[in-house]
Amino acid sequence: MDELDLLKKDWQKSDSNYPKLSYNDLYKMILKKSSSIVKWIFIISIIEFVFWIIISFALKDTKSMERFNEYNADAIIIPLAVVGYIILAYFFYLFFKNYRNISVTDNAKILMENILKTRRTVKHYVAFNLGYLIVSVIVVLFIEFDQDPQIIAQVQKAAADGEVLKFYAIFILTTMLFLAIAIGVLLLFYWLVYGILLGRLNKNYRELQKMEV
Amino acid sequence: MSEELEHSFIEQLEKHQNIVHKVCRLYTNNQDAHNDLFQEITIQLWKAFPKFRGEAKFSTWMYRVGLNTAITLYRKKKRTINTEAFDAFEFKIKSEEYDDTEEQQLKLLYQAVHQLNDIEKALVFLYLEDKNYREISETMGISEVNARVKMNRVKTKLRTILNP
Repeated sequence: MDELDLLKKDWQKSDSNYPKLSYNDLYKMILKKSSSIVKWIFIISIIEFVFWIIISFALKDTKSMERFNEYNADAIIIPLAVVGYIILAYFFYLFFKNYRNISVTDNAKILMENILKTRRTVKHYVAFNLGYLIVSVIVVLFIEFDQDPQIIAQVQKAAADGEVLKFYAIFILTTMLFLAIAIGVLLLFYWLVYGILLGRLNKNYRELQKMEV
Repeated sequence: MSEELEHSFIEQLEKHQNIVHKVCRLYTNNQDAHNDLFQEITIQLWKAFPKFRGEAKFSTWMYRVGLNTAITLYRKKKRTINTEAFDAFEFKIKSEEYDDTEEQQLKLLYQAVHQLNDIEKALVFLYLEDKNYREISETMGISEVNARVKMNRVKTKLRTILNP
């Protein structure tokens, strides 16, 4: 006899061995809160959106940005900001659309796909922000070098001392270091989130995909 | 949600609660984890209940939500596998009608099933519940042919675990 058939025989006989929860026990259960990964994904995603919105506002209010506003750079800065908000709205819409598609009554594969899709939206949003941050930093630096009297004076002084290359090198390296730290922190965050929250889901999804090959 | 809906849900869940217990039995190793997963499946069933339109049987619908919760949504609170507690739990729950050899063999079989991965367990669960390959394929989202192929592989894997 097949091992599984032996197990099946026992399994189907075992009905009377399970605890019987009463109506009241079950009623108490439905009042409790879920701790499913979907709930956590929702919370973490919203935190990520809020985080980037705060970052964009925080950067706007800094003294250097105020000084920056005095330059004749509106033609670049305003479109950059508008594009930023349109893309934020688009990602937000996409996130909610995908989130609402998550249904526990779908089949296992579709459920997993919808969860991963929701998470991917947020990941793309963060990647976009990172790209946006890098582009903004480069644009800001170009404008600063072009219009900031202090920096122009420093460049001229460095040029007079014959150290213009060193001056640029320090500037570029500092910027790169700042960006590398930002990317590092984000990668660490993703490694943690994906490891803790989605590790098992990813493993199971891969297992299902493997069957279809 | 209305009281009527609540009442209808709990009544049906009470009647079919063994399905949830059986999912928990395969996916957990001790009583605490069993209760915890049972709780989460109940919440997920309740949350999805307003969308349940009776196209499928309540019990069929429960299989899907129960397995989805166990495989995908549930976050294990305790990560350590307590095999000692598991043995005691299995011992308590097992059928009492077999002789010693069969009893021992069943115990080993249950332990072997516990070593399978989440997806394999789901296939075994549906098989033990006498679901056909069409139902297995619909629940898991894979083709019927692949469900059959995978099931055969799971049987081979179980044999390997039992006779290394």
